[in-house]
Amino acid sequence: MIALKQVTKQYGQSTVLKNITLSIDEPGIYCLLGRNGAGKTTLLKSVAGYQNITNGTIQVDGKLITTSTLDTGVSYIENFAKHFNLPVRKLLQIASEVNPNYDYEFAYEMMERFELDGKKKFNHLSLGMKTMVSTIICLASNKSVVLLDEPVLGFDAIMRVEFYDMLTESFRKHPRIIIVSTHIIEEIAKTIQKLIILDKGSVRFFDTLQSVETKAFSISGLQKDVEVATQNLNVIGQDTVGGLVTTYIFDNPPEQTASLEIHPLSLQDFFIQMVGHKGGAAR
Amino acid sequence: MKATFAIVKRLLASNKISFIITALVVLCATSSGDVVLSNGNYTWLLAVMTPFFFVFYDYTKLMHLGASKRDYFFGCLISYGVLALGISLINTLIHLLIDPVYPAQAVINMMDVCKWTENGIIIAGVQQMFFLLLVMIFLHVLLSTQPHWYGWLTDAILVAIICIFTPIAALRGILSVFFQIIMLNGNALLHMGICLLLSAALSFAGLLVLKRKTL
Repeated sequence: MIALKQVTKQYGQSTVLKNITLSIDEPGIYCLLGRNGAGKTTLLKSVAGYQNITNGTIQVDGKLITTSTLDTGVSYIENFAKHFNLPVRKLLQIASEVNPNYDYEFAYEMMERFELDGKKKFNHLSLGMKTMVSTIICLASNKSVVLLDEPVLGFDAIMRVEFYDMLTESFRKHPRIIIVSTHIIEEIAKTIQKLIILDKGSVRFFDTLQSVETKAFSISGLQKDVEVATQNLNVIGQDTVGGLVTTYIFDNPPEQTASLEIHPLSLQDFFIQMVGHKGGAAR
Repeated sequence: MKATFAIVKRLLASNKISFIITALVVLCATSSGDVVLSNGNYTWLLAVMTPFFFVFYDYTKLMHLGASKRDYFFGCLISYGVLALGISLINTLIHLLIDPVYPAQAVINMMDVCKWTENGIIIAGVQQMFFLLLVMIFLHVLLSTQPHWYGWLTDAILVAIICIFTPIAALRGILSVFFQIIMLNGNALLHMGICLLLSAALSFAGLLVLKRKTL
């Protein structure tokens, strides 16, 4: 369980995390979305105890997390993580020795599945392969919270599909909290249970994917008709092209009428509307 | 404990460069004349180089492998203990077996200089071990603090102490007493006790620094 209470993180004058209160109680695969600089890495690193926050508290399984926590029970991996320049097989073995609950069989199986050459030294691997090794180590650690920061960076399309399968398989084997931060939104949708959208250091959305599927819609039509249809609904964005208005809602959709076009929003469109910026313009 | 010992194994294994440089210097160093330096002295190089690797090379990589700070901390302490024992053993053996073979009239080994051999070779070896343990832990803590302001402050204080205490006779006396206690000490019990006490205090300081360490 992860509990964040009024978490604020400042770097000098800049506030990266703004008073975040969030509770993740159930095991599941959570997707952390946010634009570049939204505070995703800062949030993950703070939960991992890699850095201290300015205000508030972070608890994992009831344990207060700061850099002083000598054993956090959290496994975090960032892309470009540095490892000993040893053969992949040896690295996985060392990881199994330093992690008490490490699932070596899973790690070895994943190494085979991703056709990682066990004899190849870490520094000789491609960026994608390096990231894959780091991800395997992190998932195999079996800690109660696993944080993967941009794990698919440098992966080709096939590797990404394999990665999502690995994630699902790892979770099925050992249900726990897995948070994945990514920019490739649509692809991960089949894998995740809950979505966290971070915008400018604040949690903008935290709910299940089903709620997005059942509540996120675009309503297009003449401005007057759309305004009437959406007047008491939770509007998250709006586009105007000529006299035609498209309003984006996160609510129960209005009754379908001949003058309105109502479509469910894709996850990517929902995300774009939630973070409220398009083409650099603030709404 | 299994994880801690796995870290000890990794720390020692990734310290190859220090081992190789030390071995090369010990094997290749030559001196001539009536008074020569024992090659065993150069084994101390390992104690000086090791903390650099443990602090700047191994820490981040072990964390990325999923090691805990607790295991890293104890792993480092155990490794320093093992290395102090190993270095001491080798220097003692060199002092016993190789130093007498030199054709020179006098062979200077640090164990003699520090008056440890006055208590017999075994006690001297143990004294050397505790001293080297102190040196390694001191360097570990000093290096760990370098990314922080208090590390720079410590550097400045150390430089200031050396610069101010050395030229002024009265202060030089204090510095001399300090080194006589921690290094040039023929009283084995006092020497080992002081080294252990300082090592424990520095380890505690090291733990505080580790607790503030970010990634």
